[in-house]
Amino acid sequence: MPKHRLERCGLTVTGACVALVTVLVVTLIVMVASHGLATFANDGIAVGDFLLGTTWNPHQADANGNPTVGALPMICGSFAVTILSTVIALPIAIGSAIFVVEVAPGFGRRVFQPLIELLVGIPSVVYGLIGLSVVVAWTRSWSGSTGYGILSASIVLAVMVLPTVTSLSIDALASVPHEYREGSYALGCTRWQTIWNVVLRSATPSLMTATILGMTRAFGESLAVQMVIGNSAQIPGSLLTPASTLTSVLTMGMGNEAMGTVYNDVLWSLALLLMAMSLVFILIIHLIGGRGAVRHG
Amino acid sequence: MDTIDEEAAAKVAVDHLDLWYGDFQALKDISLTMPEGKVTAMIGPSGCGKSTLLRTLNRMCDLAEAVRHEGSVTVDGTDVFGVDPNELRLKVGMVFQHPNPFPMSIKDNVCYGPRRHAEVSHADLDELTETSLRRAGLWDEVKDDLSHDALGLSGGQQQRLCIARAIAMGPEVLLMDEPTSALDPISTGMVEELMRELSRDHTVIVVTHNMQQATRVSDKCAFFLLGELVEAGPTPELFAHPKDKRTEDYLTGRFG
Ligand SMILES: Nc1ncnc2c1ncn2[C@@H]1O[C@H](COP(=O)(O)OP(=O)(O)O)[C@@H](O)[C@H]1O
Ligand SMILES: [Mg+2]
Repeated sequence: MPKHRLERCGLTVTGACVALVTVLVVTLIVMVASHGLATFANDGIAVGDFLLGTTWNPHQADANGNPTVGALPMICGSFAVTILSTVIALPIAIGSAIFVVEVAPGFGRRVFQPLIELLVGIPSVVYGLIGLSVVVAWTRSWSGSTGYGILSASIVLAVMVLPTVTSLSIDALASVPHEYREGSYALGCTRWQTIWNVVLRSATPSLMTATILGMTRAFGESLAVQMVIGNSAQIPGSLLTPASTLTSVLTMGMGNEAMGTVYNDVLWSLALLLMAMSLVFILIIHLIGGRGAVRHG
Repeated sequence: MDTIDEEAAAKVAVDHLDLWYGDFQALKDISLTMPEGKVTAMIGPSGCGKSTLLRTLNRMCDLAEAVRHEGSVTVDGTDVFGVDPNELRLKVGMVFQHPNPFPMSIKDNVCYGPRRHAEVSHADLDELTETSLRRAGLWDEVKDDLSHDALGLSGGQQQRLCIARAIAMGPEVLLMDEPTSALDPISTGMVEELMRELSRDHTVIVVTHNMQQATRVSDKCAFFLLGELVEAGPTPELFAHPKDKRTEDYLTGRFG
């Protein structure tokens, strides 16, 4: 191929790829947004009623004749499982990261990290199945409840995000410059003084990024959650009562409703909410990343 | 070589030291003393074991894998391998080749060691920060904003901050591993001047591959080659009348 044609060809092909991706992303956002906003624009549902309403019953009309589509129970459910699963997973993730980076790097490289990578690849339905047969049963055995609920969902999610968060935490600690550790040792500090005061401290921005990525995953997970949370669209009264999340309601409801109905529009609104939240998570990651870059630059 | 040693007692003494990294012998039968309150320089081509020897003096060499040694190293007559390394490092401070301030404020850097080791009141810490930074010649440049991120300082300032951080612990011996190799000429001059000043209160041991620097700052000089100590003596003497042919070749730039 003549040189100038290769140049033009390369430019065209790669440019077309970028254009395609851009169009896809924009279409996606526009589509979700237009459907999601139709609830408020066409169906006459107030944004406040949707975000703060506590009753979810799209097939029933309220006093004003509007369907009751309060999404607050699911919003609460989503945040509850996200936060609780992070609280469970994060200490374990950071603890094991410290061990394999600072204490036993050989074991970490040869045994632990391959193990973790294996876990990352397991499909979520498998976690759901295990959650159903082990976690729900275990919760039921001591609590006297059905076993379905926020607690079971959070435990399953914690196990699911653990590999990701652990592996990102390992990267975060491993990328702390060795010179920092030497500087601390040279000042007569012990290993754990060094880990606590220098390693964890300077890895904090990256550890926060790891945490948020884990939270994003937990927030967006639907299948495994749906299997163990009980799917009751009520404000969760306790960690042991059945609840639901934005994602679980979406997966349960989406196939059943015709396009254009109010119920269908409201489901799109839930999707819009999910999309907005992941945007927020990504923004936070970028903010942290920017700050970290300034500190090390 | 003995004129200095007669004036000043040996603060650090290395006696028939051999050291191996796995199967590789990095130090071969080194015997050398570092006089108290003086600057001792270690020179030689890179890879000859200068850093290794320096890092045995505060047992930073322990951090490497599969290190083994024979022979003895004493500070004030006490075998360094017989004491807790963390205690030893309080007495024997270190400054590294590349400035390595922690990613925290200037003050937190200086106070890092003291905070870990003693119950110090905040007033004491302020005072300690000031005296340490003054002695490191950095106070006037940073006194207005001690909460400034240390990583925002220039390379030369960072290295002086590392010196302040080390002397805040009140070490008796200060080890410096090519402390100016990453610095510009002006910062290098400042750090060299500091070494002279610090040697009034501390025993300074500096590794350098810069022979001019060795003549400018050191009282005693030791020349290493391939893990061996070729010769050591008062700096002016070693440079003017090297006893060994290899030293002469190195000093006249015939290799290295
Ligand atoms: N941690 C280590 N493990 C194995 N070999 C090392 C290690 N550190 C240094 N060496 C080797 O020991 C020799 C001396 O190194 P070093 O003391 O750093 O020399 P210098 O500071 O004089 O340049 C070199 O050959 C180097 O490759
Ligand atoms: Mg060296």
